[in-house]
Amino acid sequence: MTERKQTSVSAALAAATCSLLGAAPIAPVQAQEDPGWDFNTALLYYGEDNDRVQDLSLNILGKRYFVDDRALSLGLTVDTLTGATPNGAIRQGVPQTFTRPSGSSVYTIPANELPLDDTFKDTRAALSVGWEQPLGRLWKTSVGLSGSFEYDYTHIGLNGSLSRDFNQRNTTVSAGLAIAHDTWDPVGGTPVPFAPMLDVGGTGNKTGGESKDVIDAVFGVTQVISRRLLVQLNYSFSNSSGYLTDPYKVLSLVDGVTGDTITRVPPPGVEGPSHEFRFESRPDDRTKHSLYTQAKYYMGGKVLDASYRYMTDDWEIDSHTVDLRLRWPVGERSYVEPHLRFYTQSEADFYTISLVDGTELPAFASSDYRLGNFDAVTAGLKYGWTTRGGNEMSIRAELYRQTGSIPGDLLIGNQVGRETYPDLDAIILQFSYRFSR
Amino acid sequence: MERRPVRQVSVEAGQDCLVGHFDAMASPCEILIESDDRAEAARLTKLAAGEAWRIEDKFSRYLAGNIVARMNSARGNAITVDDETASLLDFADTLHTLSKGRFDITSGVLREVWTFDGGDGLPDPQAVKDVLQRVGWDRVTWRRPVLTLQAGMEIDLGGIGKEYAVDRVAGRLREAGTCSALVNFGGDLAVTRAPRQRQAWRVGIEPVSAANNECNETVLEIATGALATSGDSRRYLQKDGIRYSHILDPRSGWPVERAPRSVTVAADTCTEAGMLSTLAMLEGYNAEAFLDGEGAMYWCRR
Amino acid sequence: MIKRNVTGFGIAVLVVLASGCSSMGVEPWERDILAKEEMQLTTDPVEAAIDDHIYFSKEASSGGRGFGGGGCGCN
Repeated sequence: MTERKQTSVSAALAAATCSLLGAAPIAPVQAQEDPGWDFNTALLYYGEDNDRVQDLSLNILGKRYFVDDRALSLGLTVDTLTGATPNGAIRQGVPQTFTRPSGSSVYTIPANELPLDDTFKDTRAALSVGWEQPLGRLWKTSVGLSGSFEYDYTHIGLNGSLSRDFNQRNTTVSAGLAIAHDTWDPVGGTPVPFAPMLDVGGTGNKTGGESKDVIDAVFGVTQVISRRLLVQLNYSFSNSSGYLTDPYKVLSLVDGVTGDTITRVPPPGVEGPSHEFRFESRPDDRTKHSLYTQAKYYMGGKVLDASYRYMTDDWEIDSHTVDLRLRWPVGERSYVEPHLRFYTQSEADFYTISLVDGTELPAFASSDYRLGNFDAVTAGLKYGWTTRGGNEMSIRAELYRQTGSIPGDLLIGNQVGRETYPDLDAIILQFSYRFSR
Repeated sequence: MERRPVRQVSVEAGQDCLVGHFDAMASPCEILIESDDRAEAARLTKLAAGEAWRIEDKFSRYLAGNIVARMNSARGNAITVDDETASLLDFADTLHTLSKGRFDITSGVLREVWTFDGGDGLPDPQAVKDVLQRVGWDRVTWRRPVLTLQAGMEIDLGGIGKEYAVDRVAGRLREAGTCSALVNFGGDLAVTRAPRQRQAWRVGIEPVSAANNECNETVLEIATGALATSGDSRRYLQKDGIRYSHILDPRSGWPVERAPRSVTVAADTCTEAGMLSTLAMLEGYNAEAFLDGEGAMYWCRR
Repeated sequence: MIKRNVTGFGIAVLVVLASGCSSMGVEPWERDILAKEEMQLTTDPVEAAIDDHIYFSKEASSGGRGFGGGGCGCN
């Protein structure tokens, strides 16, 4: 513990003023800026290579402080998603035809190409409202509502948190809880688990909308270590139950020896899939635990932000994330901030590449690459500056690369050597502007 | 000899309040009163003006015959001062120690060599050295209630006077009435008690540079407490590209280096706020770090 | 079960840390650096939300610092 240095100047000044003015009690000062609203806005472009997903979004967060550190936050995000995403089927040496989720038309993928479904041009709007306020001198609380809307998915959520300071505000302990109810209304309906992809017009494999409930809890401790170092440690728990499957993804049904997808021929005059595909199915429950730690360290003007997160869940996925940022001031009004992030995850226990014809179906199966075994690296640079009017702007450019591998025991016959994890390269560009009105 | 402004008091309607006006200590003074009772507002304003003028008459260095004039013309003789003056001298003594000599009520004589008129007339270094012989609280013998000043030295309470007056006036208004009032002497202000019909009093902090086109005037909401500003928007010298602020370091006789253009501090009393902003200015380039370290609420412009 | 053990372990670590932390820290007047905007744990909440959303839709993990991910049909 640091020894008590000489009494601070303001304490001595307060005592001297008391002697000067006489000991009549004076109410402690309550003053604050009335900044109106503080706006934090950002325009984002996210684009993957090979005609895959592209996203453009506008994000606005407005915050207004009131007397006593109470604050109201309003957030709005609008984004539009275009581009194609892997539909879960494996490559073949011949062209493959798939029925679109709507069931009203088909699309064909050339030979030896990773099947991508480009049906989706989706626009999403998300809103949030939050209120935070102190309770007494050492406690703080917040509550919030969130909602997001897209044509096939709706989310509504409620969250709250409580925190308390200890040790002259050197330690803060906090707890938070969030619950959400999300509903799916997939285009064409929700597929029955492992149902076959049908010809155009076929509906027997689909049912109505589905939903899921999510509960998140976070417990954290923030600790001031020294004048220059602050650390945080959080434990999070998350449980999702309900419909957790991706209604648009399939698995290829393959021959047990060759590993090639079983072919089929649609009836005359009807368009439909050229091979046998089965809709995926995931468990209806998922529990995740995470341990997250972050440190901020001030080094003579530069600030290092380092964090590590470990996640494990009951789908057998384990992941590690290391995130490093260094904010480097340039001149009096600007800074550069290089950024590096390393991520690795191990695959879900029901992750597989294909389903084998003639064998018993597994309880659950998905070939969604996002449940697979991969590493990802993000490298980026941000440049920010303060305008003469006191507002802040910044631009950042980052590259995100995912490289994965398919566990050898999942590959059968001709798949070996032909099937590879669909590596991802994406660029992230963001322009942000913070101002007050 | 300064021409004294006419001493009169007036009351006008403000935004949801009544405003009493008068001039004191070379500043326009206003008392914002949360009341619609004109008679009461007039009574309180007269009370406030009376106290402000009393302090001005007693401690102004421009008036002959008051305690300051007597101290400054004693030519080395001991002077016995009254309680109020003694308390101010004790306070100045504490501040001299707290600021490690940067705050010094004997530094007023430096105005003989420095004229901050926006021009480039820097004084001759030898002249500054000569005047510095007559500066230094350490050279003063102060044993309450007796003060002994060497010949040629002067006491100047200008650095504490206005904020002290604001707090005294606020104290009188607190005792004299029950409504909330905001005492504003040209930007140094204090609130007597929390307002009842509104969340807080709203005051603006003037941006310093007119050249700043995007200047957003900062609006403050103050429910209790006080504000004081130290600034040099008009009083400075500029030569060879260097701006010399009017805040002089009494230990060297030269302006403090790289002082901010203005510092506004919020504190429980106007005296504390004023002293913190003055001490911050005296820290020069270290002003913000000093205020951060003190946990002060402040707005600094460079 | 494994899950309950992980939960119990996580909470136990936090309790031990919180109680052991009572002797560390700084005096209130030494918080000048900690008060700087760039020393806050989340310097830009919008950028953090954007990143959380990107990684939630491309990876199987989410959150950590607060409530993570969710709210979209992308995973």
